[in-house]
This record gives sequence, structure tokens and C-alpha cells, in this order.
Amino acid sequence: MPPPVRRKAPVLLLVVGAALALATVAYAGNGGFAPATPHSPNAKRINDSYVWISIFTGVIFVLVEGALILFIVKYRRRGRPRNQEGPQIHGATRLELIWTAIPVVILAVIAAFIFYKLPGIQDVPSAKAEGGPLVVRVDAHQFYWQFTYPDGQISIDELHAPLNRTVRVDITSQDVDHSWWIPELGGKFDAIPGHVTHTWFKADRAGTYRGQCGEFCGVFHAAMKAVVKVTSQSEYAAWLGTAGDTLGKGEWEGSCAKCHGLQGQGGFGPTISNNALLTQGRSLEELIRQGRNEMPPVANGWSDEQVQALLDYLKQNIYKGAASGG
Amino acid sequence: MAARATFEPYRPDWRQGRVMSWITTTDHKRIGILYIWTSLVFFAAGGILALLMRAQLAQANEHFITKQSYNELFTIHGTTMIFLVVVPIFAGFANFLVPLMIGARDVAFPRLNALSYWLFLFGGIVLYFSFFAKYGASRSGWYGYPPLSDDMFSLGNGQDLWILSLHLLSLGSLIGAVNFLATIHNMRAPGMSWMRIPLFVWSIEIYSALLVLVLPVLSVGLTLLLLDRQAGTHFFEPQGGGNAILYQHFFWFFGHPEVYVMVLPAMGIISEVIPVFSRKPIFGYKAIAFSTVAIGFYSMLVWAHHMFSVGMPNFLNVFFMLSSMVIAVPTGVKIFNWLATTWRGNLIFDTAMLWALGFIAVFTIGGLSGIFLAAFPVDWQVTDTYYVVAHMHYVLFGGSVFGIFAGLYYWWPKIFGRMLDERLGKAHFWLVFLGFNLTFFPQHMLGLLGMPRRIYTYQEHGLWQAYNLISSIGSGVMAIGILVFVVNVVQTSRKGARAVNDPWLADTLEWYTTSPPPPHNFETLPYITSARPIRDLRRRLAEARV
Repeated sequence: MPPPVRRKAPVLLLVVGAALALATVAYAGNGGFAPATPHSPNAKRINDSYVWISIFTGVIFVLVEGALILFIVKYRRRGRPRNQEGPQIHGATRLELIWTAIPVVILAVIAAFIFYKLPGIQDVPSAKAEGGPLVVRVDAHQFYWQFTYPDGQISIDELHAPLNRTVRVDITSQDVDHSWWIPELGGKFDAIPGHVTHTWFKADRAGTYRGQCGEFCGVFHAAMKAVVKVTSQSEYAAWLGTAGDTLGKGEWEGSCAKCHGLQGQGGFGPTISNNALLTQGRSLEELIRQGRNEMPPVANGWSDEQVQALLDYLKQNIYKGAASGG
Repeated sequence: MAARATFEPYRPDWRQGRVMSWITTTDHKRIGILYIWTSLVFFAAGGILALLMRAQLAQANEHFITKQSYNELFTIHGTTMIFLVVVPIFAGFANFLVPLMIGARDVAFPRLNALSYWLFLFGGIVLYFSFFAKYGASRSGWYGYPPLSDDMFSLGNGQDLWILSLHLLSLGSLIGAVNFLATIHNMRAPGMSWMRIPLFVWSIEIYSALLVLVLPVLSVGLTLLLLDRQAGTHFFEPQGGGNAILYQHFFWFFGHPEVYVMVLPAMGIISEVIPVFSRKPIFGYKAIAFSTVAIGFYSMLVWAHHMFSVGMPNFLNVFFMLSSMVIAVPTGVKIFNWLATTWRGNLIFDTAMLWALGFIAVFTIGGLSGIFLAAFPVDWQVTDTYYVVAHMHYVLFGGSVFGIFAGLYYWWPKIFGRMLDERLGKAHFWLVFLGFNLTFFPQHMLGLLGMPRRIYTYQEHGLWQAYNLISSIGSGVMAIGILVFVVNVVQTSRKGARAVNDPWLADTLEWYTTSPPPPHNFETLPYITSARPIRDLRRRLAEARV
């Protein structure tokens, strides 16, 4: 005689599963139950895909774990002798076909949704009304990000972008593999030397978006953070005009200070604020372009103006005169 | 005067000494035991590395260990768990069990078998001694991507020793795999057709086939990397015209099938344990056997899902998404068949069964989180974050290691002739089950909050810190659970109950002989007429008695 629980159980499990899936959706964006709250259309569509998959996996999770717990409770030994056998059922071809076919259908439904969302995630919008996307080149270095804007301005670790404007980022690396990632503005794209990868964003809210390098890149991987500052178009234009003034400071903080300390007082790298090399332009340039031992070639690929900006900043702000006797 | 006969005192052959007998052995059972013990020692070592990492991450801005050490820790932890624990311990199980399960006297090539063990041991020693190299051990991750692993960015010989170690380990695994294939194909007992071999043997067949197919590709990649480092070539160095992504293809062409190398034998163990402790035959023997073959086949077609963020052409992303999703189907088939096996059974919750049921519970979570990772736009958000760390531990700890413990509790009496203590065994299971979920479940959330892998510290407080702290506490609970296992082993090694031939009333041929088996394994063998020869025998005996 079939116990009544067998007919109720699937219904109950479905209800619980749907409730759980809904709770997940309602909770999305909070507490790490879904990717960060999106502020760009591509990130939004990724989150939609995440929620879509969650619904199916949530139901499967509840069904499988529910069946497992149900069977454990229902078919436990309960004092039966150890050698008492259950019914000797060796299988059922029809069941095998069913539980092969249903997952295939579910996966097809998931894949179809991904294909539906994919163009809106992957393809950079032509943005004709805005006169085409704003193209920013991202050069990843050990251990900082360098951003080059269309008119040649450069910033370090801080990408400035105008609000509601499509920004295409062309990503490459000057040394090892890194990965560009601002969670609220979309997914990860690796920075690989010799390759250029692309992604884009169109921020719908002014503010500061934080991210950090997603591919292990060496000893200061954890310090390789990036910030995207989204401001109004006019503020952005104003910032572009003054970008050159802060370049030396940005280079110092991004490429030198993480190892040598903000005042050059030393840290992971040696103290340099009293090192006369800071005043010897030619040798210093060679060192930062080529690296030495554990010091990476931080200035790999820099223009002469960039090197000069750093040298000027070092002379004015960091160099404290040679240490006595040293 | 006749010469007096001299009576030399009896001196046993030098190969029969207590230590020398283990060093010179070619007995598959002793080599299996060596494999299992060595892997367990490395498991402890790799576990300690992980505990150190969790201690460092327990709080924001912690300074428990330095960043260089942290990078060595996760590199060697990953390499250890994969190459020195999971793969070789399955080689240990396979060594001990495959000949017994198929009714053979030994493996096909006993001396090669000994060689494969010693290559494994020395590979492991090389890896751990690399901590003493200048600049320390390798610190470019278990996958060793160039350019980070090139001579310019990885100074010292730690990386070279890592390559040497992996070469030794690969060679050992390759020899072992060829040996298992030859044994399974040629040495099955009379009547044991392919549809009558135990499912564990099926899993070892595919484990071995995959190793033979993909290990040479790893060796190629590592050799080219070594040449780049030491001979001035530029295979992977872009400034010399090389291609850094090429290495990733080499590595993952090996690396993803390797994942199934590590989980298929665990699934094989589960497929042996669940029917015995459900007092039923396995549901869908053929479906499980063929799904093992299917997983093996598809596992060779999914490697680049580790590389969705490198910017591959769209059609490749789509191909690898679909192939990765397809592999969920045979995996699901296995889970449904295990569940169906417990249906209407007489479930006996001995420790081995607890681990097997625990496997189903947690492996399901790992399988489902894998679907998010296969959908490549979602992967772009979660790849290289703690979400992947969580997913990967749900399949490799919740899958492989739970399977290993199920196998240890199940076959311990056969291997060592003594029963493990059930009370301590259950404490071990529940502590590890709880600790495992505490450690790894919150890591899903950490990844979604934006915490990348392989960072030695973080500045964020709030939820980041809360989840990290829970995770670190969980790792401590797991460690206590493992200590309970150690106590169990030590106590029962002297005082444990002697094991009879077939303590679990099992189905397969290894239970036909004594526990532990004699050097030649079997005096006689029954003619095999089904996949459950020992149950057939029990029934015939029962009928004869009536």
C-alpha cells in the first residue's frame, strides 16, 4: 500500500522550492546572495541571468535534498535486522530516460535565456546618439591600473567616466596576467600581455565604484584596487583638463608607494626617501622601466612625459636628501 | 678430522626486514597501503597550510603571515591536495582493491607499480623541500600561469622545483594508470564480464584512461614553461613572440579532466557503499557505468570554461558553455540513481554510509553552483572569486574527500583487519560535515560580495569580515573532526575489533577473502554470474541450509 506522504511530498517540495527561489530573488543584491547591485545595463543583464539560473537550481536543490532527507527518515533501519533486504529492484529504463531528458530540457531553457541576454551583455552599444562610445585604454601593471583617455590624458588606479555615457574599455597588460573587474559595472575581463580584451559599461548613477584585480598577479595582488569615478559630463570634462597636474602623484601612489610606503619610508620594498637615485633621472628611469630582482618593471610602456611627471613629483615631494653617511 | 659442519644462525633475507620489506615490496596490497598512508600524511600537511590561510583571513587587515608566505601557502595547498592527496589516494584504493574486486592475484605489472609509488613519494618530497629554495616555494598558484611563473616574475628555484615535482608525480600517475588499465582489461576472474565488474572498477577504468590521455599534455606545458625559465625560449612570453594563453589551454586541457579524475573514483566508492548499506542492488548499474564513461568523454571537451574571461571568440565561449552544461546530465543521472537505490531500502547508518549520504547532500550543491559558472556571462562576475573557491571545495572536498572517507570506513576492515570505532567515526563525520559547510558555504556569499581569490588580506569590515570569520571557525571545526579520525585510527590499531571476512554483508569479490587478505589474495574463486558474486554466494548457502 503506498503511503499517503508519497503524493503530498512532491507538491510540498515544489511549494517550498518556489518559496526559497522567490526569497533568493527578493534578497538579491543583499548579503551576498546575488552579484553586486548593478549600475550598468550589462551588469544588470548578468544579474538577470543569475536570478534565472537560481530559480531552476533552487528547485532542483530542494527536490534532491528533500528526497534525500525523506528517504533517510522513511527507510531508516528502525530495528530491522541488518541482513533484511529491501526489494531487489535493479533499475527502470523509463525512469532513466525521464531523469536524463528533464535536465536536458532545463539546461536548454537556461542556455536559451543566456543567449537572449548575451548580446546586451557582450556587444558594446554603438551609442550613435552620444557620438560613439568613449574609449579608454586600460594597461594593467604589477600592481596598478593605468587609464589612457581618448585625448591622451592618463590617470592611475582611478578611472573617471561621465554619467550615462557608454564607455568601452580596451584592456591589456604590460607584465603578467591581471583581470579588470568592477562588480557593479559588469564582469571580469583578463588583462593579458600581447592581447587586448574589451568590455563596456554605462553607469546609471554618479558615484564611486570599487573593484579589484581578479587574476592573481603576484605579491601585491590584494593591493591592486581600482576605482571608477562617475561624474556629470561637465565635471568629467573639467577633470580631463586638470588630469596632467595629478599624474605624478597618481604614479607615485599607484606604482611606487604600495611597496615603498606613502612617504617612501619603506615597507615591503626598501626606504627610498633618502636614496639619491631619486634625483638621478637616467638611472632611475632605467630601473623603473626594467625592474630589478623583486622590483617589477613598473614603468614598462610609459611615455617620456609620464616618466618625467614621476621624476618631478619625486624630487619635489619625496626626496628628503641623502641619509647622513649613506 | 672431519670438518665440523657449521651451523650459521638463520638470517632472513635482507628484503624481509620490517622496513626493507615495505621498501622492496611489489605486492599490490602493500603498495596500496603505502599510497594511502603517504596521501593521508600529505592531507594533514595540506590541511595545515589551509588552516594557516584561514587564520590569516579570519579578520580584516590581519598580519598573521606575510603576503609572500600566503602566496606560497595557497600554491602548495592546491598542488598538495590535487597531486599528493586525492589522485594518489585513489591510486592507493585502486591498488588495493582492483585486483581483489576482479579476482586477480596482483596488478599486471607489479614492479612498475612499485615504481609509480616511489615516483609519487619523491615528487611530494621535492615539492615540500622547495620551501627551502631561495625566495621560497612556488608562489604563482597551483596552475602556474606564465608570465607570472616565468623567470622574470618568479625569482628563485621554487617554481623550477614545482615543475620537477609535477613531472615526477605525472610520470608516477601515468605508469599507475597504464597498470590499472592492463589489469582491468586482462585479469578479470572467469565470468566477470564488463557488465559484472564493480562500479568502483568502472570508475578506475575511466580515471586511468583520462590520466593516460591528459597527463602528457600537462607535461608538454610544464616542459615548455621550464624551457622559458631556464633555456631562454619564449613559448609563453609575449615580448618574445610567445603566447601566454597557450599555456592556459595546455594546463586546462589537463586540468579539467583532472577534476573528474578526482571525483569519478569517489563516485565509484559511493556506488559501492550505498547499495550495501541500503540492502538493495545499485539502481541502474548500466546507467551509472555509462554515465561514468560519458562524464569521462565530455570532461575532455570543457577545459576552456576555466578561461571565459580571457576574451575567447564568442563561438568558443558558447561551445564551452554548452559542453559544460551537458556534463551536468550524466552527473545528475548518477545522483538520481543513488537516491533511487536508497528508496525502500533498509538503510543502515554506519559511518561509511553517513559519508556516502553526506556526499550526495554536498556534491549536489557543488554541481548546482557549477551551472552558474558554466553560463559564461555569470562566470564573468564570479570567476576568480571566493564563489569558485566554494564551488570547487564543494566538489573536491564534499565530493572527493567525503568519498575517500566513505571508502576508508568501508574498506578499513579489509585493508587492516580491524574495525574502526563507529562512535568516533560518527563524531568524525558530523564534525567534518558541520565544519565543511560552515567553512565553504559562506564563501559563496563572499564571492558574490566581490572578494577575489588569492588575496592575502582585505580591508572591508561588515559582512566580509563576518563571513570570513565563520569560514575560519568552520575550518577549525573540521580540523577537530580530522583529529577524531586520527584518534580513531590510533585506538583501533591496537584495540579494535578483529574484522571478519565480510563484516558489512557486502556484494563484491574483495569480501570473499580474509581480512586482511593473504599475499596471494584468493585460494579459490567462485564463478562470477552477476555483479554481486558474494550476495549470490550467501543466497546459495542459505538455500543449501534450508
